Amino acid sequence: MRTAVTARLFFNQALHRPTPILEFLLPSFTVPQTRIHYASITTSSSSPNTEPSPSSLESPTSNKRRKPLSKTQRDFLDRVLRVNQAGELAATLIYTHQTSPITRAHPHLRSLMHHMYSQEAGHFSTFNQMLAKHRIRPTAMYPIWSAAASALGWGTGLMGREAAMACTEAVETEIGGHYNGQVRILLGWVKEMEDKGEEVGEEVRELVSTLKRIRDEELEHLDEAVGEGAREAKPYEFLNRVIRSGCKGAIWISERV
Amino acid sequence: MGPTRPLHAVFLRHPAPLRSNLVWQCSRSYHSYEHEAPPPFTPTEDAILSAALAHVPTHGFTNTALTQGARDAGYLDVSTNLFPAGAFSIVKYHLVTQRLALARHASSLQSQSDITTKIRKLALHRLHANEPIVHHWQEALALLSTARHLPTSLRELALLSDELLFLAGSTTVTSAWYTNRAALAAIYASAELFMTQDKSKGFTETEKFLKRRLEEGEKIRGGLDMVGKWVGMQAGGLVDGLRSKGVWI
Ligand SMILES: [Fe+2]
Ligand SMILES: [Fe+2]
Repeated sequence: MRTAVTARLFFNQALHRPTPILEFLLPSFTVPQTRIHYASITTSSSSPNTEPSPSSLESPTSNKRRKPLSKTQRDFLDRVLRVNQAGELAATLIYTHQTSPITRAHPHLRSLMHHMYSQEAGHFSTFNQMLAKHRIRPTAMYPIWSAAASALGWGTGLMGREAAMACTEAVETEIGGHYNGQVRILLGWVKEMEDKGEEVGEEVRELVSTLKRIRDEELEHLDEAVGEGAREAKPYEFLNRVIRSGCKGAIWISERV
Repeated sequence: MGPTRPLHAVFLRHPAPLRSNLVWQCSRSYHSYEHEAPPPFTPTEDAILSAALAHVPTHGFTNTALTQGARDAGYLDVSTNLFPAGAFSIVKYHLVTQRLALARHASSLQSQSDITTKIRKLALHRLHANEPIVHHWQEALALLSTARHLPTSLRELALLSDELLFLAGSTTVTSAWYTNRAALAAIYASAELFMTQDKSKGFTETEKFLKRRLEEGEKIRGGLDMVGKWVGMQAGGLVDGLRSKGVWI
């Protein structure tokens, strides 16, 4: 008990009071990060109807002056695109390992599993291209996320249809919320640029629409999983909580390392 | 002048976790194509340091070269106070400007050649940029490997490695991103050191050395890929075998 408290104290201190050693080992841990709050979302495949769709997102040409993205904005993109790639890597692996046991027991799920897998593979390749193009490093935890996601897919696949669907539901709730947070922040940038009479660059414009599309596809997966009995999984609460906190932890780590 | 510690040896002497941390440093933030990155040096720094670099063949990487450079650029001797790192500023200026100059050369590369060939051509081009000052490069290496400048030196080496891979068109974004950069950094640094001792005409020996090291690197990487594939195949075969026996996995 006391060890746990001491360990937590040490961890907190290490995180909040940069020590030279920690700074050298893990510089990004001690650099103050902009805190991003991701609102959780409820199950719904429609995009929130309160979401603004600024006119400048549709008008590709304009001769307004263009301001470079700030360092904070570029760091934000660096961080979230890295997390997105890691997330999509995990998603493709989860579906890959679930498919065999699930479709054997429930042949009618073959097309759904295939549909979800191919959308994830599409997302993964989109973010792979973005990382290469914008010179963003992948997460250093790449091999670890691969192993964890494969194990998660394999394990929930063996547990049966409901558990596999509960896994999808839990993952998509976190991932959908994560994408939603990004879209909201980017739309905030767009609004700010519009208010200042600046041109919204093609890069930001394209990114917003890509993220919106992917988010909507993730939310579809969520609805489909609930439709296929995710909530009947036993023990649903346990699976949901464990997988969701796993996702949160993985996002937190991938933003940093 | 202290004994020269080759940069790649310094690099390899770090324990593995630190080594990967050093490679991390070549990560910049999101690279936008809609805006030029701000210039790395102010016009004054640019004027003084480029003039100082012209004095390196005669004066070496020394404070004398820096002072001469300031005078040439029309500044008072006292303006060398702008550069608290002294002679090291000239070394850094050379490294940064030559790294950024690679982008212009990259467009002249044939698009049909493979990535390894492009990396070799780019690295060779970069090595040739050391030609005018190669007799003084050991001094530069000594400055680069002092404890005070080591972080900057390794970061610059990592940035060069990243630049070479990016310009050669590498799009690897798996964990090989890290190993590729670490391997290329070590190879480039050892070729640079080799070049300081190379007496062959046109540095053909350095060229051969670089080619050999890159080929070796490729072989090791190919070998690792094979091991990975083999392990994957064995695991897949095992799962299939068990499945065919009716085991539900
Ligand atoms: Fe996805
Ligand atoms: Fe998904």
